[in-house]
Amino acid sequence: MKYVIIGGGIAGTTAAEELRKLDPESEITLISLEFHAVYSRVLLPHYVKAKVPRERVFLKKETWYAEQKIEWIVGESVTKIDPVNQHVALSDQTEVAYDKLLIATGGEVKLIEQDVPGVSYFRTLDDADHMLELLRALPLEARAGIYGGGFIACEYLNIFKHFNIATTIAFRGAHMWSRALSSEAGELITNHLITNGVEVIPNAAVVEIHGEKIIEAFSVGDKKISCHILGIGVGIEPDFSLMREATIDVQDGILCNQFLETNMPNIYTVGDVAEFLDERYGRHLLAGNWMNAQMQGRCVARNMFGERTVFNLVSSYATNALGLEIIFIGDTSRAHAAESRLIGSIEAGGISELFVRNNRLVGAILVGRNSDRAVLTKLIQEQTELTDTSVILSS
Amino acid sequence: MPRIRVKVDEDLCIGAASCVTIAPETFQMNAENKAFVLDHGTEPEGSKYERWMEVTDDQMENILLGAQSCPTLAIFIFNEAGKQLFPDM
Repeated sequence: MKYVIIGGGIAGTTAAEELRKLDPESEITLISLEFHAVYSRVLLPHYVKAKVPRERVFLKKETWYAEQKIEWIVGESVTKIDPVNQHVALSDQTEVAYDKLLIATGGEVKLIEQDVPGVSYFRTLDDADHMLELLRALPLEARAGIYGGGFIACEYLNIFKHFNIATTIAFRGAHMWSRALSSEAGELITNHLITNGVEVIPNAAVVEIHGEKIIEAFSVGDKKISCHILGIGVGIEPDFSLMREATIDVQDGILCNQFLETNMPNIYTVGDVAEFLDERYGRHLLAGNWMNAQMQGRCVARNMFGERTVFNLVSSYATNALGLEIIFIGDTSRAHAAESRLIGSIEAGGISELFVRNNRLVGAILVGRNSDRAVLTKLIQEQTELTDTSVILSS
Repeated sequence: MPRIRVKVDEDLCIGAASCVTIAPETFQMNAENKAFVLDHGTEPEGSKYERWMEVTDDQMENILLGAQSCPTLAIFIFNEAGKQLFPDM
């Protein structure tokens, strides 16, 4: 059996590791665009803040691949998937045949149009190295800007705070995570940022960068803010042209069923790119978080090996904005929830929003209310029927 | 049964909770959104970030999986002689 995995991140590497355990005699090829051994993206903020040395972000040594008899192709991308003849073509013109193919390519970071030295992105280890170079070159009394209102923006907030750099954050929505969070929870976060000395500019639809050799300022609307470094966190944007060409069904992500199989025979997908059928919620969803990527890697290996295994996980993701904890659990799509309820208040310093569908809790977003986590996760996992929604939700 | 020491570095823990998903008998989240360590689901001497426990080989395997799943490698496992079993040195 010949397994080919496109993508050397945590989802793809976990799948390779599991396949090797399940099928010791098989051939496994792992194609990675990055030159590094698999590392933890979640550890990158710790590395930038010097809480861990650079070598600690790696989850495997470079020798691991050979020890596991995994053919590790680095610095190459896939230029074509041929689902009929079952092979992929690489950027160096070679072809790799497969019996089972896994697509775990993650997302490409979305770029803004202008690129001036001093602009920073934050997805890869190379991005983290670049950010460190920028931080080291900052003058005294430096000012930082952030454009974006999600998880990456949050990391920039914490990093700039760590280095004691005065910060302005601008984002498109009315508040951070404007599509996911209630206006109350959004206001709670905004207030927290302002209390901690951050200048907050909401509703900033367009950003413009000033400076030629090095960034001098950025402007949103008619407001111009001087800065020496600008962190951009406006999401990821996977390129699905290869998949479309190979007649693999794509929606917001690569569509797959509960076994992580795409519509094309012998082609599977996992991680940030996979829009998978979650039986618990009865719909397809994207879950761009570490826990999901790793667990899907494990699950898909079993399916590729031939042990039919339904992917079943209530995934969650936690972050904090200058000490205020924010936790997303399960299906937090406002559009797909029949009902949502808030617990807590801005005044109390914590708000949890619960998403209910078919009389069952499907997801929750906790802002400053960590202690709700265990009970809400259990209700989602066990699909407990809420006989009297109002009583359970307000308890 | 092997005796091991399991430790969570609360400074590294970011509350991802993947350890709780894999090994809930050994890890749970506290009010600070940090994982703490249980001994087979119990908390003798209260909530702790570090404790000794006796485990079967299967339990050991699962605790190791929980530690490996941590995105910040905040979980450390030592054997009785004090040798660090995970993360690999």
